[in-house]
Amino acid sequence: MMRLGRSLKAQLLAWLLLMVGLIGVLLLLEAYYSTQRAATRAFDRALSDAVLTISEAIQWQDGHPHIMIPSAALQMLATDHQERIFYRVLNAQGQSLAGNLDIPLSNTDMDQAQHHSVWADMDYQHERWRLLGESIQSAGWQEQDPVQIWVGHTTEGRKALAKKLFQSAVGRFLVMVLLVSFMVMTTMNVALAPLKKLRQQLRQRRPDDNYALDINVPKEMDELVETLNNLFARQRDNHDALLRFTADASHQLRTPLAGLQNISELALGQQDPSQWHSALEKINLSAQKTSRLASQLLNLARLRHAQKPEHDTLLDLKTLLQEVTLEWVEREYSYHHDLGLNHLPSEAILIPGDVWAIRELINNLIDNALQYTPPGTQITLGLLPSAQHVELFIEDNGPGVPVSQLPRLHHPFERGGRQDTAGSGLGLAIVDTITRQHQAALQISERAPSGLRVSIRFPRTRSAES
Amino acid sequence: MSIRQLLGTCCILLSLFSITPHSAQAEPLVINAALDQSVIQPLLDKFMATYPDIEIEYHDQNTQATDQSVIRQPVTADVIISAAMAQQMGRVNQGYARRLNSPQVQQWPKWAKWRNEVFGFTFEPIVMAYRLDLAQHMLPPTSHADLLKRLNDHHDILQQRVVTYTPQGSDLGYALYQQDARYSGRFWSLIQAMGRVQASTASATPDMLKGLSSGRYWLGYNLLGSYAMAWALEHPEVIVQVPQDYSLVVMRMAFIHKEAPHPQAAERFVNFLLSFEGQHILAGETPLFSIRPDVQGPYTAQRLKDQVGPRLYPINMNASLLALLDSQRHQYFMQRWQQSFWP
Repeated sequence: MMRLGRSLKAQLLAWLLLMVGLIGVLLLLEAYYSTQRAATRAFDRALSDAVLTISEAIQWQDGHPHIMIPSAALQMLATDHQERIFYRVLNAQGQSLAGNLDIPLSNTDMDQAQHHSVWADMDYQHERWRLLGESIQSAGWQEQDPVQIWVGHTTEGRKALAKKLFQSAVGRFLVMVLLVSFMVMTTMNVALAPLKKLRQQLRQRRPDDNYALDINVPKEMDELVETLNNLFARQRDNHDALLRFTADASHQLRTPLAGLQNISELALGQQDPSQWHSALEKINLSAQKTSRLASQLLNLARLRHAQKPEHDTLLDLKTLLQEVTLEWVEREYSYHHDLGLNHLPSEAILIPGDVWAIRELINNLIDNALQYTPPGTQITLGLLPSAQHVELFIEDNGPGVPVSQLPRLHHPFERGGRQDTAGSGLGLAIVDTITRQHQAALQISERAPSGLRVSIRFPRTRSAES
Repeated sequence: MSIRQLLGTCCILLSLFSITPHSAQAEPLVINAALDQSVIQPLLDKFMATYPDIEIEYHDQNTQATDQSVIRQPVTADVIISAAMAQQMGRVNQGYARRLNSPQVQQWPKWAKWRNEVFGFTFEPIVMAYRLDLAQHMLPPTSHADLLKRLNDHHDILQQRVVTYTPQGSDLGYALYQQDARYSGRFWSLIQAMGRVQASTASATPDMLKGLSSGRYWLGYNLLGSYAMAWALEHPEVIVQVPQDYSLVVMRMAFIHKEAPHPQAAERFVNFLLSFEGQHILAGETPLFSIRPDVQGPYTAQRLKDQVGPRLYPINMNASLLALLDSQRHQYFMQRWQQSFWP
C-alpha cells in the first residue's frame, strides 16, 4: 500500500499522521462553523437587547408613539468592537419616527417583521451589516398601533470574536496533536521493543550458532520466531548432514586406499615377478573401484551443490529409458540377470528435465538393482503415464530390504544392511537428489512375495514455482 | 553617430535635471476645522517644516459649516477637525471616514479613538469665566450650584450681563447642554434662571471672551477652557473658573475624509497630530492640552487633572454620542430649552 521507507516506525507514524490529519480537518471544520455560530449568537444578543431598550423608550401621547432614543441602546449596538450602528423606528404606516442611516429595508422583511423577528444580513456601503427587525405591541389607554424597530451593526466584532475562538480551537488542536504524537512515539517504542530485542539477538549470534532463539516475544511475533527457529533447525540439519557426508566419504575412500597400501607393501616384500603381476592386477581392480567411488561422490556433490537447474527443454522419457536399458542389456555385467522393459506406452512421454541427469538416474537405478540382487533375478523397468504425471519404476524379485531400512535407503552410504556387494552406497542418494531437482517424488516399497520396487513420479509440466 | 547619441543622452539628462525641481510641485492638503488657526498655527508650522512638499490649505469654520463640508460634493476636504463630537461621530458612523493604521494610531489611548477612524487629540475643559467687576458685587460662582444661586439672588444686577452658548447655532453648545442635563437634575432651573436675566447666546467662545473684555458681559457660562485660559493670560480683567462640582471635557476630533483628494498628505498630517512631536507642540505652544501621557508641558491632560482634581468629566467618544443626533430627541430637547429660556 504505502511505501514510506522501510522503517516500520516511519510507516506507523505516517499512517497515524494521515489519520490525525483527516480527523483534524473534520475537527477544524466543525470548530470553524461552531465558532461562527457562537460569535453570531453572542452578537445577536446585543441587537435583541438594543431593540428591547429602544422599545422601552417609546412613549404614547394622544395615541401617537414618541421616542427618545436612549444612548445606552446605541452603545449596546456598537459593542466593544466599535461597530458602525443603524437604528430605525417605524410607525404602523411605515413612516420613520427616528433613525440614522438610509439603509434600504426590503418590503418583505418589513412585512415579516410584523409577525416575528427578522434577521437580515446585507451589504451597505461596501460593508457587511447584520440587522434585526421586530414589532412592538404595547398596551395602553387608547387603541395603539404596533411600532416596528430595526437595529443593526457592522460585523467586525463578530469576525474578530469568531477568529479569536477559532484560533484558540486551533491552538487546542495543535496541543492535542503534539500530545498524541508524543504518546504514539512512546507507545511505538514500547510496542517495537521486542523487535529491537530480536534484532539485537540475531546480530549478536555467532555464524555457526544454529540453536533456537531464547527470547520472550508478544503473541503476534511467535510465528516469526518459530519460523526463524525452523530455519535454524534446517540449517543445523544441513550442516550436520554435510559433516556426516564428508566423514563417510573419507571413510569410504580410506578403506580401498588402505587395501592398495597393503597389497603394494606385500608385493614389495616379494621377489617373484609373477606375484608382482597378480598384485598389480589387484591394485588395478581396486583402483578402478576407488575411481568409480570417487566419481560417484563427485557426481553427488555436484548435483547437490549445483544451482537449481532450469529445465527449459522437454525430453522424451520413453526413448531415453529404452536407450539406457538397451545399453545395460548389452553389457557383460548384466548377463546373469533378466533385465527387461514393461508397460511402455506407444506414444512419446515428454517431461521437462535434464537429459544427462535423467540418464544418470536410470543408470543408477539399474546399477543398484544389479548390484544388490543375486544372479537370475528378474529386473523390470516401465512407465505408467497419467494426465499430470508419469511414473518411472524399476522392480525386482530379489531378496528385498527389511521394511525398517526402507526410509533410510536413499541416504548416502546406506547399503540396506548389505556388506557383500561392490556397490558404493551412493546410487539411491544420487537418484534421490536428481528426483528432487525435477520436483519428482521418490517412493521405495517392498514387493510381495519378495523384492523391491522403486518408483519416481515426474510431473509432466513444469510446476508453477520453478 | 556615437557623438550624436552621446549628445542626445546628455540633453535628456539635462532636461531631466532641469525639470525635476519644477515638477515636484507641493502637494496640497485641505483641512476644514472648527479650530482657530491662530491657536493651532505652531503645529501647522512644524508640520510644514517637516514636510516641505506639503502645502496646507486651512479653512477655519464654525462647527456647523465644518460638518456640512463633509457631505458636500465634490469633496474638497482631506482632514476634518471639530469639537462637535456627536456630529463627528455621526459622520464616521455614516461611513465618511477613512481608517488609519499606523504606529501612532496603535499607541493612541483607546478611549480617545473610535474604529481607528476618528481621533480625539485635545483635552479641553468647559469653564466659567467672569469679569473682575462681578467680584465687586458678589462672590464669584465656583460651581454650577453657585451659579444658579447667584443668578437667582442677583438677577437684577446680572440682567443682560450673562453670556452662554447657543444650542441652536452651535453643535458644541447643544452637546454641552445635553451633557449638563445628564449630570444635574437642576439643569432646567439653571436655564430658567438664565432666561430670567435675559442672558445672551453666542455661537463661539472667542465672541464670549471679547464681550467679557469689552465689559458687555460680566459672566460667561460653558466656555471652551482652552481659549478662555489663553485669553485670560493676556486679558487680566477676565478670570477663568473651572467648576468645582464637575467640569465637562471635550475633545477635538479629527478624521480623514473617505474620499480625501490627498489621502497620503492627510495620513501624514493625522499621524503627525498624534505623534509625540505633534502632541509636544500642543502641550507647549497651544492651550489645547495634549492627552498623550508621555508628553510633558504646561498644557497636558495629566497636568490639568493634577490641578483640578478628579472632577473632570470627559465626554466619552462612543456610540452613545449618536443619540444626540436623533432628530426627535433634538427636537424635544430644543423645545424644552426654549420653553425654559423664554417662557
